[in-house]
Amino acid sequence: MTPTVQRRRIEILVDQPLVRPILEVVRDVGVRGYTLLPTLGGHGDSGAWSDDMVSGAQQKVLFLAVMSEARAELLIDRLTPVLESHGIVLLSSAVDVVRAEKYD
Amino acid sequence: MEALASPVILFFILGALAAAARSDLAIPESVAKGLSLYLMTAIGLKGGVQVAAAGYSNEMLSAALAGVTLSFLLPVPAFYALRRLGRLDGVNAAAVAAHYGSVSVVTFVTGVEMLTARGLEPAGHMVAVLALMETPAIVAGLLLARRAAGVPAQRHGSLLHETVLNGSVVLLVGSFVIGLVAGKDGFAPIAPVFETAFRGALCLFLLDMGLLAARRLRETRALTPRVALLAVVLPVVNGTLGAAAGTLIGLDIGSSAALAILAGSASYIAVPAVMRMALPQADPGLYLGMSLAVTFPFNVLFGIPLYTMLAQRMAGQ
Repeated sequence: MTPTVQRRRIEILVDQPLVRPILEVVRDVGVRGYTLLPTLGGHGDSGAWSDDMVSGAQQKVLFLAVMSEARAELLIDRLTPVLESHGIVLLSSAVDVVRAEKYD
Repeated sequence: MEALASPVILFFILGALAAAARSDLAIPESVAKGLSLYLMTAIGLKGGVQVAAAGYSNEMLSAALAGVTLSFLLPVPAFYALRRLGRLDGVNAAAVAAHYGSVSVVTFVTGVEMLTARGLEPAGHMVAVLALMETPAIVAGLLLARRAAGVPAQRHGSLLHETVLNGSVVLLVGSFVIGLVAGKDGFAPIAPVFETAFRGALCLFLLDMGLLAARRLRETRALTPRVALLAVVLPVVNGTLGAAAGTLIGLDIGSSAALAILAGSASYIAVPAVMRMALPQADPGLYLGMSLAVTFPFNVLFGIPLYTMLAQRMAGQ
């Protein structure tokens, strides 16, 4: 069986105009790899949202990255103060990876 | 009533009714974005060509100055009205006020169509005034937020970049300059794309806007009756000030009505994206709900004819 190592999977749902400042924090804490995914729509505290807005102000993007426990803690600490005010959803979960050295 | 029978307006009403009836009618996002780029290019080119034909005039400079001044100052009374009457906090009031100082390109395009149909075509340079009015309101809104709620200043680089090099401003100004350089002769070969197809594309875009506005109205939770009322009162007050300014500086009736339409309109493309970045604490459901779900339909259906009538009355007609 291929050996695996545990890492943290971080998912951040954020409005498109706020992606750039989030990525600055991500780079600051030393995360090297991530993926940005488009979204179709959903429902939250402020009601329904979808990507069919001409302004893009509420178009949401999903940030996905896998990293070490220590780096994930650092990233969560940096983002926690703005989660409420910036309307950000932050999820952290355990994930088993092959090639652990890619996800430090 | 005559204005309401225009195909452009009827398509808007169709979109709104379809969304209200929960029809699955939808314009794909990429098509809607393409249509908005097309409309901005066409209106910019047309304005540039008209200015190239008419040449420079003092009226051009005074219209530009009036537009910039209105855009910078209109957020101030709007801010206090939103604070006192709308009972909004400082950050939300500032974010919403910026939308009401800035402009809506689609409201302007629809207004120009309706004015032209009545033989009151505004001067071509009003397109440049439209582009100039996008930004000062954003600056005013951010200043109001800093003053009222102590919101810390953002890094100026990224904000300035987003504000001045905003896609709609770049395309409008760029197309205007291209029209100015190309002139009537240079424009003639591309006129079938940007002139002949213009009204049809506007109909499709307004169909999408009707769908978006009605869906936003149905889904928003941020609109209180007070705030919804202000979304109608603010454009009327601003539009009246715009018509008065246009008349005072001696613009022709069509241009004066266009300035009133610009002053009475509220941005829902450029400003929301900038405000989301600059004032992330403000509720986007509130400013988009007000500008897109209430003010835009109000202006398209009632505001444009009202501002036109005001410009005519103030000019003594």
